[in-house]
Formats: sequence, C-alpha cells, structure tokens
Amino acid sequence: MIRLENLTKHYGRLAAVDSLSLEVQPGEIFGFLGPNGAGKTTTIRVMMGILRPTSGRVALGGYDMEREPEKAKAITGFVPDRPFIYEKLSGSEFLKFVGSLHRVSAEAMQRRIPELLEHFELIHWKDELIESYSHGMKQRLVLCASLIHQPRILVVDEPMVGIDPKGARMLKDLFLDLAKKGTTIFLSTHSISVAEEVCQRIGIIHRGKLIASGTMADLYRLARVEEGRLESVFLDLTRDGTS
Amino acid sequence: MSSLAILLSPILLSWKNEFLRKGERKWPRRTILFCLGLGFWAGIYWTARRVLIYFETVHGLGPALAYQLLLIILLTFLSMLLFSNLITALSTFFLSQDLDLVLSAPTPSAAFFYSRMIATTVNSSWMVLFFSLPIFAAYGSVFHGGILFYLWVILVLPPFLIVPASIGTLLTHLLVYFLPARRIRDILFFIGLFAFIILYFLFRFSQPERLVHPEAFGHFMEFLNAMETPSSAYLPSSWSAEIFASALFQKKVDLWFFYPLLLSYALFFPLLASWLSAAVHLSGWSKAQESRQGRRQGYLLDRMINRIIHPFPETFRAIMIKDIKTFLRDTTQWSQLFLLLALIVVYLYNFKVLPLDRSPIPGSTLRTVISFANLGLAGFVLSSVAIRFAFPAVSLEGKVFWILQSSPIALRSLLWSKFWLNLIPLLVLGELLVFLSNSLLRVPQWMMILSLITIFLMTFGIAAIGVGVGALYPKFDYSSAAEIPTSFGGAVCMICSIAFVGVTVVVEAWPVYLLTMEGLKPGSFNVSGWVIVPSLAAVLALTIAAVITPIKLGLNKLDAMRN
Repeated sequence: MIRLENLTKHYGRLAAVDSLSLEVQPGEIFGFLGPNGAGKTTTIRVMMGILRPTSGRVALGGYDMEREPEKAKAITGFVPDRPFIYEKLSGSEFLKFVGSLHRVSAEAMQRRIPELLEHFELIHWKDELIESYSHGMKQRLVLCASLIHQPRILVVDEPMVGIDPKGARMLKDLFLDLAKKGTTIFLSTHSISVAEEVCQRIGIIHRGKLIASGTMADLYRLARVEEGRLESVFLDLTRDGTS
Repeated sequence: MSSLAILLSPILLSWKNEFLRKGERKWPRRTILFCLGLGFWAGIYWTARRVLIYFETVHGLGPALAYQLLLIILLTFLSMLLFSNLITALSTFFLSQDLDLVLSAPTPSAAFFYSRMIATTVNSSWMVLFFSLPIFAAYGSVFHGGILFYLWVILVLPPFLIVPASIGTLLTHLLVYFLPARRIRDILFFIGLFAFIILYFLFRFSQPERLVHPEAFGHFMEFLNAMETPSSAYLPSSWSAEIFASALFQKKVDLWFFYPLLLSYALFFPLLASWLSAAVHLSGWSKAQESRQGRRQGYLLDRMINRIIHPFPETFRAIMIKDIKTFLRDTTQWSQLFLLLALIVVYLYNFKVLPLDRSPIPGSTLRTVISFANLGLAGFVLSSVAIRFAFPAVSLEGKVFWILQSSPIALRSLLWSKFWLNLIPLLVLGELLVFLSNSLLRVPQWMMILSLITIFLMTFGIAAIGVGVGALYPKFDYSSAAEIPTSFGGAVCMICSIAFVGVTVVVEAWPVYLLTMEGLKPGSFNVSGWVIVPSLAAVLALTIAAVITPIKLGLNKLDAMRN
C-alpha cells in the first residue's frame, strides 16, 4: 500500500533522506522511529507530496506521487507534527473545508462531521473559532480532518505531542481499530512505548538511512537484546546519533 | 553584561544575523530596497523644498506659512507616534511570544520595563524618523538654518520620540489593567482607523489648495485666519516647533524654557510608566493570556456566500468560502475596507471640485482628457488595492499551506480561485470609480464606453498580477499580515501593475487623441469611433498576457517550493 523506492532528499549538500526503501502492507501499522533530525519529517513530507524528492519514488495505493499526486493524496490522510490550522474558522467549518478539498459529498459530510467530532470529544466546540482551542484540541481536530474522507492510508507525524494520557489512549485505540478495518497507518514517532504498543512492524531511521526494519522480534534479534526492550534496540542502533 | 543589555541582545543579534547572514541572495533585494528608500527620501525632500520655496515667495508671509506647516507636521508626527506606541506597547509588553520565557526567568522588573520600552520606541518611531529627516533637511536648506538648526534637530528629536513612547506605554498599561489585551487591540485599531478617516475627510473637505490661491480670499485678514492652525502650548510638538523656529526664522524664543521643558517630560514620563508597570504589569499580562472565545454565528451570511460563489467548481468554492470567512473574521483585514471607502469618497469629491471652468481649454475637450488620465489613476488605485488584498492571498496561507499541499487539488485551482475571488470586488470597484467619475465629469458617450471597457480589461490584469506575483514572492513566515504587502515582492508587484496600467493607457492614447481632436474641430482628422478598435484589441492581448504570465510564473514558483 505504501512503497518508497530509493527515496533521497538533499537540502544543499545535506542528505536528509538517503536511499530509503520500504514497503507497508494494507492494514498494517508501520512505526517509523528515529532520533531528532534523523529525517522522519522530511520523509513524510516527501511522501505527502509537500516536498519533491531529489531522487527515488513514492507510491501510495499504487499511485505514483509525482505522476498522479491528486489520486495518491485522495486516498491518504495526513496529520502533521504541528497542527497549524485556520484560526478564524470554526471546527466544523474547517472539517467542511477539508472534506470539500477531498470531494466528500455534502450528505456524507453531514453524517461524518458530527460522528468524528463526537468521537474526538469536540462536538461541543464545533462552532467555536479554532483560535480558542487548546493545542491538544487542535491536534484532535486535525485528526478528524485527516479521517473525513475515510482514507485508505493514514500518515501521522508525531501524534502524541501535546496529547493527554486519555487522548493518547484514544488515539492508540483508534489506530488499532482503523488498521483492523484495513487502513494502512504510517506512524512516525519518538515514543517507543507507542511504537511497541500499536505497531506491527518498525523501521528505524538514522541520519537519513533506514538502518533497521522488521517486526519486534526481528529487531530484538538484530540488536541482540532481550525481548520487550525496544528502547535498548533503539539506543543500540542509533548509538552515535543526535538525540 | 547588565540585565538590560541581556534583554535587548535577542533583538540586536536578530538584526545582526539578518543583516550579515551569508549564503542567501539578499544583497540584490537590499540594494533595490535601499534605492527605493533613497528615491522616496529624495522625493519627500524635493516636494518639501518646493513647497517651502513657494511659501518663501509669498512676500512677508513665507516664514509664517512655513512655521504653521512645521506645527502641523510636528503635531501629526506626535499623534501618529502616540497611537503607534499604544499599539506597539500592547504587543511588546503583553502579547509578545517571548514573554513566557523572559518573565519566567529571574528578570529585574526595571530591566524588563526599559528593554521593552526601548523596543517599543524603536519599533514605533523609526518610520516617523525616516520621513521627518528630509523634511527637516528641506527646512534647513530653504531657510538657511545652519549648523545650529541641525544641532537642535539632533537634540530635540530623541526627547520628542521618547515622550509619546512613554505616554503610549503608560496608557497601554492602564488599558490592559482594566480590559483584556486582545480586545484592546481591536478597539485601538478602530479608534485609530476612524480618527484617520475623519482627519482625512476634514483635511480634504477644508480644501487646503485654497491656501496657495490667496486671490480666492476676499480680504487679507480672511487669508490669515484661514491659515491659522490650532496649536496648544501644552504639546511637545509646539515646544519643538518653537525651538526650531528660533534657528530657522530667527524667532525670539526662550530656549532655556522650552528645551528643559521637553527634556523634563522625556525623563518624567518613562519614570512614571516604569512605576506603573512595576505595579500592574503582571496582573495585566495574566489577563492578556485569557483566550478570546468566538462563537461562530451568521447562517444568513453563509447562505449569501454560498449563493455568490455557486457558479464555481467545488474545490474553488471550498477555498473561496474559507478565504471569505477568514477575511471577514480578521478585524485587521476587513476594517481596511473603511479606508477604501474613504479613499473612494475623496477620489470622487476631487472630480466634483475640479475647476474646469477656469481652464482656457474648452470644457468638453478637457473633460475627455481628464477622463482619459483618470483611467491611469483608477488603474493606480486598483493596483494599490490589489497590493493590499490580492498580493497577500497566497502568503496568507502561511503555516497552514500544508493542508492545501497535502490535499488532492492542483495548485492551479488554488491560484485561480484566489484570482476570481479578488477579481470580483476589484471589478466592482474599478467600474464604479470610472463610471461615477466620468458621470461627474459629464464625458462624451464614446469616452464612457471606452473607459468602462478599458478598466474592465485592466482589472483582470491587475488582479492576476497581484495573485501571481504574490505566489512568485510568497512570505509565509509573516508575524502580521500587514508585513506582506511591504515585502520585496510587494514592490515588484506594484511596479509590474503600474507598468501594465501605463502601457494600457499609452496604447489607447493616440486614438483617444484623434477622437478628442475630432470632437474639438469636427472634420479635422476625419476619424470615426472604429479608430479605437485596434488599440482595444492590443489592450485585450496585453491583458491576456498580463493574466496568464504572472499566474503561470506563480504556479511554477509554488511547484518549485517542493524542491
């Protein structure tokens, strides 16, 4: 469902992402781990067509992001790390706007918006301007927006930043539930506990390169550590990194 | 390093880094901006000098007129400074993003106050300083002020800038103590806006042009009365004017009274403001944290917007609805419409008071010539409005641009939706301006039709240049929307827009001349209305190029941003 082939992105001489290849199967939750500055957000921005790769290819649901960007984006939901949204729109207006961009029918939106707002406990705030929302509420609203068109792929960058424990639990359950229904989730995070809890496979990126990828068991074997200690695997593999 | 120096260091370091940053092509921009600034400075100096030289020729009245003008200028500067400081102090003391960091550190309250006060004074005053220097230079050169005058300028300006800064800071503290800061900004903005509009109307409708035509007054005393400006003995602007007058017009002034008076105000008010700040700043700042909750209402408005944009495709509609609502809910944006309204009223009023009957040229010919010149003028007005509304359209997406970038829409749709959204109001404004001014001028029918068609085409080009150049030079990292039109791209946009208007007018000039002459002396050129057709076709071709080229360049730029 998600396919990255030799993806490379240079900022001047710096290779933020270096020949990165990976594949994520339908209905899978793939955790993308790495220290700060490893290239996670750049990879995601290239995946979403916000940045153009220096070389390599991104395919989402079989659609090439460079050749058929609109089709690729139409089946994908995106949650960025920092929820900058239109402060002067109300929550429900923002969702309508994003729904319209994704060509969701008016009837479907009428049904879906209250459903999502209810699920994310924002229903009582739907007519308030976003400028009065807290960080966590904005984050939840962005999640609602990413799901408005029932995407087949969900790309999430650092979902737990600014989310309280209750919200974090809600999110983890949501990811598991979506994956059960067939949505593919690409989850970039620093949070090892989140990765351990919800991801079926994990990729570790360091200095732009994918240095390890596989199931938990594969990673434990690779790092020669005991089971249940993903943190040790992470630290071992990224030892000379900048964290 | 003292606490004050530490607190000021981020500002100074930011300036230094901004100025000395390597690896970016900033120097060509800086050179252009510097040249533009220099040109502007020279323009002010030249105009002020011309006016003062003209005053000097009015026998016996020159220095009196120049003194009155100096009073008006200083009073205007003082009121502008006071208002600007009120707003700036609100940001620096209560709304700035670094307050959390600074106030959570063990910062001495006096150091905090004076660092913010210095930032407020510099931010609010540099523009007044910039505009005032060529004016003072013109005064000095016309009235041979000599070294003494320039010395007084150097001595008077610092306290003259500090007094309104400290009074502004003081008032802001009092206001924030009683009202939430976010509301105050809106209130102050409106007070300022309406005050400006009222002053603008008062100034225009008092017909200041009559002052340069003394023959229009029945009696010498009447002229002197008309020339008198209200000035108060209690205002620092009056004291400063007195001090300058001593060097410029050899007026007998008690300098040992006025300068110490000015200086004592400049020392007393900052001290008073610092005491007040120490007492009330923390509680005022706490109040400023309260977020404003705006419940959305106005379903009628929603229906109206939906009806207006109904003919457009769905994605266009989504972007348009978002843009309209964002615009209407941002006080700083929609309130500029009042300024626009004031501009239109005065614009049309100018046509009403044109002294056409005093000209030696026959009335109908003059009306046609003015109407044609008005096309260029209306184009200029539209360009100025487009700079304010169409040019920032792409930049206003700011940090939210990711939403559109990650959505299944082509960037093309984004730019075209913004083009149409800006075109419609610009078109209404342009047609209205030209129709009403031509009606006031009572121009011939052919001129009315030609003007309406030309402005129609021109508006397409102006709107596209605004949106296209806005995409070519986007400024996503703005802290206030007002910064966008004053950026380098804004200057480029204005130049392109005016060049387009100029070429359009030039293309039509020859056939309009022929038709005007034919009206003046029938049979002299033997031309019919069809003579305008090739020019109109050329204007049409020019408009198409002016629409397609900037939008295409803007699209390429937005696309290249992905690199």
